[in-house]
Amino acid sequence: MDQEFMAQVETKVVVPTESPQRGAAAMQLKGVAVSFHGRVAVRDCTFDVTKNRVTSLIGPSGSGKTTLLRALNRLHDLTPGAKVAGQILLEGTDIYRGDITVTELRTRVGMVFQRPNPFPTMSIYENAVSGLRFNGVKKKSILDEAAETSLKSAALWDSVQSRLKVAASNLSGGEQQRLCIARALAMDPEVLLMDEPTSALDPIATLKIEELMTELKKRVTVIIVTHNMQQAARISDDCAFLLMGEDRAGELIEFDTTEKIFNNPIDPRTLDYTLGRFG
Amino acid sequence: MSIVIPPPPDFTTHEGGGAEFNSATPSRTWYHYVLILASIVFAAVSVGFIGTILWNALPDFEHHTGTLLGGNGWQSPAGPFGGLAMIVGTLETSVVALVIAVVIGLGTSISIVFLLPRRFRNVVATLVELLAAVPSVVYGLWGFLVLAPWMLKTVIPWLNSWPFAKELFGNPGQQDGQSLLLASIVLAVMILPTFVAISREVISVVPNDLIEASLSLGATRWQMIREVVLPTAKIGLFGATFLALARATGETVAVALIAGGVANVQYHLLYPGTSIASWIATEFGEAQGNEISALMALGVLLMLVNFGLSLISRWLVSRQRKVLAVV
Amino acid sequence: MSDMTELAEPVETGHQMRDEIRSISDRSRARRQVRSRIMVVLCAIALSVTAVPLVLLLFQLFNRGLPVVLHTGFYTQLPQTPSLIAPNATGGVSNAILGTLVLTLYASVMAIPVGVLVGVYLAESDSKLAATLRVISQTMAGAPSILMGLFAFSFVVRDLHVGFSAIAGSFALAVLMLPVIVISSEIAVRGVPHTLREAGLALGAKPHKVSMKIVLPAAMTGIVTGIILAISRAIGETAPVLLVIGGGYINSWKPLDPVSALPLSIYENAKSEWPSLRTEVWGIALVLVVFVFVLSLSARIWASRKQQAR
Repeated sequence: MDQEFMAQVETKVVVPTESPQRGAAAMQLKGVAVSFHGRVAVRDCTFDVTKNRVTSLIGPSGSGKTTLLRALNRLHDLTPGAKVAGQILLEGTDIYRGDITVTELRTRVGMVFQRPNPFPTMSIYENAVSGLRFNGVKKKSILDEAAETSLKSAALWDSVQSRLKVAASNLSGGEQQRLCIARALAMDPEVLLMDEPTSALDPIATLKIEELMTELKKRVTVIIVTHNMQQAARISDDCAFLLMGEDRAGELIEFDTTEKIFNNPIDPRTLDYTLGRFG
Repeated sequence: MSIVIPPPPDFTTHEGGGAEFNSATPSRTWYHYVLILASIVFAAVSVGFIGTILWNALPDFEHHTGTLLGGNGWQSPAGPFGGLAMIVGTLETSVVALVIAVVIGLGTSISIVFLLPRRFRNVVATLVELLAAVPSVVYGLWGFLVLAPWMLKTVIPWLNSWPFAKELFGNPGQQDGQSLLLASIVLAVMILPTFVAISREVISVVPNDLIEASLSLGATRWQMIREVVLPTAKIGLFGATFLALARATGETVAVALIAGGVANVQYHLLYPGTSIASWIATEFGEAQGNEISALMALGVLLMLVNFGLSLISRWLVSRQRKVLAVV
Repeated sequence: MSDMTELAEPVETGHQMRDEIRSISDRSRARRQVRSRIMVVLCAIALSVTAVPLVLLLFQLFNRGLPVVLHTGFYTQLPQTPSLIAPNATGGVSNAILGTLVLTLYASVMAIPVGVLVGVYLAESDSKLAATLRVISQTMAGAPSILMGLFAFSFVVRDLHVGFSAIAGSFALAVLMLPVIVISSEIAVRGVPHTLREAGLALGAKPHKVSMKIVLPAAMTGIVTGIILAISRAIGETAPVLLVIGGGYINSWKPLDPVSALPLSIYENAKSEWPSLRTEVWGIALVLVVFVFVLSLSARIWASRKQQAR
C-alpha cells in the first residue's frame, strides 16, 4: 500500500517554487547536530528563522524536535556528555562560540516549557518579573511596567490585575502557562522558544494560547515545537519537519513555509506525515 | 544516635495497603493474631518505656520541680539537685552545633546535588553515611584525646588574640581543653551527616522544571539555587534542621567525654560545662535514692524536648512532600 | 477572547524597555557571575570541610590503632590494670569483644521477631492501632539512647531484681533497635509492588498466605538491610549499656552475668590516667569502627545488588 502511495506521489510534478520574500533572520541554524555521550540525537539542521514569524518544528516523537529547540538557548549545557556541533547564529553571533555569555543569551532567547512551571514560592507578580530580578533589575517602576506589559501580552492582565500578590499556584493550568509566557516576555527577548506549550492543557486553554500567538509574533520571533499537526498548520508561518533516520538520529527532512509543507511538500515523507500516515 | 533513620514512607501513594484486613470477611487467621500480638508487645514496651521513666521521676517532680528547672548546683548525694546548668549547657552546645552543621551541611548538600558529577554522588553519599555510622563514643574519644589538646595549644590562643574574644568566650587559662565550645564542634560533626542526608534528599527532589525555568530566564547558578531551589525546599530544610537539633540534644557520651562535666551555669563557651544527657550518664553510676529520681526527671525533660523536636521535624518534612505534590 | 482584540493595540508598540533592561543586565552581569562563582566555591569548600573530620578521624584511628590490634593478646587476654610496677600492662579486651557479641545477640533475638512482625502489620493495616504505632515508632527511633538505659535500669535491673547484667544491656539495645527495624520493615513491605500481591489474590490464595509466601520473601532484602543497620547502630551505643551492664572483667556469655562491651571500654580507657590504656583505646575504637563499617557497608551493598538483580 505504501508503494502504491509513493508511486502516486512521484507522478505528481513537484515544482519547487521560489521561497516567498522573507524578512531578516532572527536565528540561523547551520548544520546543527546534538549528541549525548557521542550518540547523535539530531543532525543536519540548516534553516533560517525569520523575524516576527512563527516557526514550528514538527515530526514524530524521537525525531529530536525538543533536543534541537533546547540547543537554541543552550539548555544542554547542564547535561553531562551533551555536545552541540554546527553553528547557531543569533542576529549574526554564534551563540556557542561567539562573544556572548550563556546568561545573556538566555535573556535574549526566552523559553516556555511543556508543563506550566511557575515558581511555586512566588506570587504572580514575582513570577512575572523573576527574569528581570535575575538580571539585576531592581527599580520598581521598571518591574511594574514590565509586569503589566508582559501580562497584557500574555492576555492575563485583566484576570490577575487585582490579585498580583496571590501565589502563582492558585491559577488554572492554562493561566499558569500564560504566566510562564509572560515571565519569558518580561525581558523582551528577540526569540521565544516554546516546547509543546499546550500539551498539558485542555482544549479551551490550548485555543487561548494559540490565539495569543498571532499577537505574540508582532513582538517576538516564535519557534514552537508541537506534536499536533493541526496546531502547526493553524499557527505557524514556517515549518521544519524532522524525522528519525535509520540510526535513530533525528534529521531535518524539509523546511519551508507552512503552507508548502502541508499542501505541496517536496519530500514524500513530509506528505506521509502531514496526512497522518505515521507518527 | 549514629544511623540515619530512613524517611517515613509516603503513605498517600499506598491507600490500598490495608485491603486485606479490612475486607468484608476479615481473615482472622493465626497469622493475623501473631501480627497483632507483636504489635501489642511493641506498644507495651513503648508505653513501659515512657511510663517507667515518668514514674521514677515523679518523686522529684512532686517536691523539687522548681529546683530542677531553675536551680544551680548539684549536691550529691543529698541534694538539692538543680538542673539549670544542664538545661543551659544543652541549649548552648546544641544551638552552636546546629549553626555550624546547618551552614556547612547546606553547602555540602548543594555541592552533592548540583556540583558533583553524577557518578561521584553515590560515593559521597556513602561516605556521609559512614560518617553517620561512626559510634558517638569514638567521636568523643577523638575530641577528648586529639581535639582537646589541639584546642588548648592552637585554638584558644588564636581566639584570644581577637578583641572582645575573652569577654565573649571567656579565658580559661591552662586547663585541659575540655569546654562547651569543643563539645559544640564535635556535636556539629556528629549531626552533620543527619542534616546532610535529609537536606540532600529534600533539595534533590526540587523539580527539574523549575531549575530549567530559572536558568532559561538568565539566572546564574547561584541565583537558581538561592531564589528557586532553596525557597522551594525551605520547609523540608527546616525539618532537617529540627531533626539535627533533636539529635544534638540527645547526644550523650561524646559530650560526657569532652564538655568537662561541671554543673555550673556557664555562658562563656570556653569554660567546661555539661548537658542533660551527659550528666545523667556520668552521675547515674554513683546515684542513690533521691538523686536517681532527679536524674530520671532530667530524663523526662530530655524526652519531652526530643519528642517535641522530632514531631515538629516529621510534620515539616511531610508538609514539604505536600508542597512538592502541588508543583 | 474579547480582551484579545482590545490588547492588540498597545502590544504593537516597539521595545522601549528593552534597551534599559539590557543595559542594567549587562552592567550587573559580571557582578552576578562573580557572586555565583564565589558561592559555588564556598559550597565546594563546605563539602570538603565535611570530609575533613572523616579523613582525620580514620587516619588517626588507623595510625594509632593498628599497632594495638596487631597483637593476638589484644583479642585473647582479659584486661589488666596497669600499676606503678608494670605501667604498660594492659592485657586485652577479650571480655569486651565477647560482651559486645553477646549483647548484640540477645538484643537481636528480642528485637528482630517483634520488629519485623510489627513492620508487616503497619504495612498491611490502616487501623487506629497501626497509625498510633507508626507515630510511636518514628518518635522512638530518634529518642536519645541514654533514655533506654534509664528504662532498662528501672525495669530490668531494679524492678525485676535482675541486677547489672548482660540481659539488662541487651534489653536496652533491643528497645533501641526495635523502632529502626519496625520502620525499615514497613518501608520494605510497602515497597513490594501491588501487582504481585494482586496476582497472588487473583489466583485464589488467602490473604495471609499471600502475605507470608509472596510479600514477605519479596520484601526480605529491605528487611534484612534494616536489621543490619539496626545492629550496627546498637553495637556502637555506649550510653544505654553504660548504666546497666556492670562492666564485668571476666569472659562470660551468661545473660545474668555482668559483662563489658567495646564502647564501654573505650569510654573508660579514654578517661584513664594511664598512658598505656590511652594508647590501647585506639585499638578498641578501630575494632569497633571496622565492625560498624563492615556491617553498614555490607547492608548497602546487599541492598543495591539485590536491587540490580530485579
